[in-house]
Amino acid sequence: MSRARARNTKPVTVSKERMYEIIRRPVITEKATLGSENNQVTFQVPLDATKPEIGLAVEGLFGVKVEAVNTLRVKGKTKRFKGRPGRRSDVKKAIISLADGDSIDVTTGI
Amino acid sequence: MQVTETNADNLKREFTVVVPATDIDAKIDSRLVELSSQVKLPGFRPGKIPMTMLKQRYGKSVMGEVLEALVNETSQNIISERSLRPAMQPKIEVTSFDEGKDLEYTIAFEIIPDVEPMDFSTLKLEKISVEVPASEVDEALERIASNHKTTVALKRKRKAREGDIVTIDFKGTVGGEALPGMAGDDFKLELGSGQFIPGFEDQVVGANVDDDVTVNVTFPEGYGNEKLSGKDAVFEVKVKDIEETAAAEIDDALAEKLGEENLEKLKARVAEQIKGEYDRVAHSRLKRDLLDKLAESHDFDVPESMVESEFEGIWRQIESDKDQGKLDEEDAAKSDDELKTEYQAIAVRRVRLGLLLSEVGTKNQIEVTQDELNSALLQEARNYPGQEQAVFEFYQKNPQAIANLRAPVFEDKVVNYIVDLAKVTEKSMSPDELRKAFEAEGVSTSDDKPAKKAAAKKAPAKKPAAKKAKADAEA
Repeated sequence: MSRARARNTKPVTVSKERMYEIIRRPVITEKATLGSENNQVTFQVPLDATKPEIGLAVEGLFGVKVEAVNTLRVKGKTKRFKGRPGRRSDVKKAIISLADGDSIDVTTGI
Repeated sequence: MQVTETNADNLKREFTVVVPATDIDAKIDSRLVELSSQVKLPGFRPGKIPMTMLKQRYGKSVMGEVLEALVNETSQNIISERSLRPAMQPKIEVTSFDEGKDLEYTIAFEIIPDVEPMDFSTLKLEKISVEVPASEVDEALERIASNHKTTVALKRKRKAREGDIVTIDFKGTVGGEALPGMAGDDFKLELGSGQFIPGFEDQVVGANVDDDVTVNVTFPEGYGNEKLSGKDAVFEVKVKDIEETAAAEIDDALAEKLGEENLEKLKARVAEQIKGEYDRVAHSRLKRDLLDKLAESHDFDVPESMVESEFEGIWRQIESDKDQGKLDEEDAAKSDDELKTEYQAIAVRRVRLGLLLSEVGTKNQIEVTQDELNSALLQEARNYPGQEQAVFEFYQKNPQAIANLRAPVFEDKVVNYIVDLAKVTEKSMSPDELRKAFEAEGVSTSDDKPAKKAAAKKAPAKKPAAKKAKADAEA
């Protein structure tokens, strides 16, 4: 018996509606376009989206093969409005590496 | 760039031009690179925007810009390479173009024909010089004298008559209300001069000195002051004095009044003026004669488009004349078609003469100097007394109008140049003979002068003048 903790191997399924929810918008910035050299695209995704979910969503919507998904949370800035401190909402970005030969034109939309 | 000539009929030229897609793309790319440093896009520092991005955003508009520049450039090239002189703006029509495809367009224009001016020394012209008879000078003097009336106190008391100058106090009311500008003291009014509103002067006629007269008048519709226009008014008028007018004596005193030393000098000046007028008539006759002869002895093809635009100008004039019923009797009797053929011929003639004169001018380096232009401008300004400033401003703002001014000056210079070369015989005539000769030549003379488009620019300047005159009458 292995000492390692048993992994939750339950396969992730994503419905069509959830896919559209997950891929909110492409991130179009200088840094994001740099990723195109490594065949990577960047999307904004909901905070609760997981990497496997995002991978499936991209594969399902764009018809490409996803090699890897990296995610990061951008914390919202603290801003003052009429003297009262407030906070902008956090944002999750997903950087998706595509298989060789696949590509997504981020500027055209789905 | 690939150019094929598809039409070379007489003066017409037509080319088909094909610009390969690669050329266009290269141009677009270089333009985009230029743009990239100026464009601001969120998420990118200026100048760091990827090319693909730029193309997507600005490709379309840059393409339009590049195409326009390309068409202009290539069409310029075609014209300058073949050293053609187009008569009018070339007509350019893009036959096919799509992104990534070759650009194909046709360019069509007419060229200015090669004009071979005749040997002007073979021209025979007649110059008329007019002696001004003494009787005309005297007549003119009398006219001047009658314009400079002197007032004479009445010898015997009598009622005011037409032509008298009355001194009046007046006070006017409209519906019982006195308005500014409707009263005056010791005003000198010449009866029958039409200085006041119609009816006023008539009612003062017949009054005696020290009479009080009540004048009932109606201001005319469209009177300068809107409050008064069309209203009935009552004027209380007190006649204080009545004076007769008499024409001034023709003597040294009158001459002095007019800024001359004595009567002799004044006479000389008047004679000179009259002679100047006749000279001008004689000169315009000479010029017309010359143009007639030139038109007869030159027969080259003229560009249709120029004739077309000239004819359109004439025809528009005719149409507006017709609408206002100002058409010559001779013309009014003719049908439209007849008129059209007639004026078509005139248009051809005008264009031909215009081309010939400009050719002669450029060949002989006749140019209009700034000084000449200025004096022409001054002349023009003098036509609108009181508004010289406005005229100058108009010309400063409209270079096109200056060009209009330049044309007749240039024409005159060329004509003078030709006249100098031609054989000119002098012939002296009396004024009557000149007048008769003029009448014998018919009415159509004024139409035959070459292109001069002066009418349009005069309209705007005239209006304020009319208004001013009205305001003066209001006093």
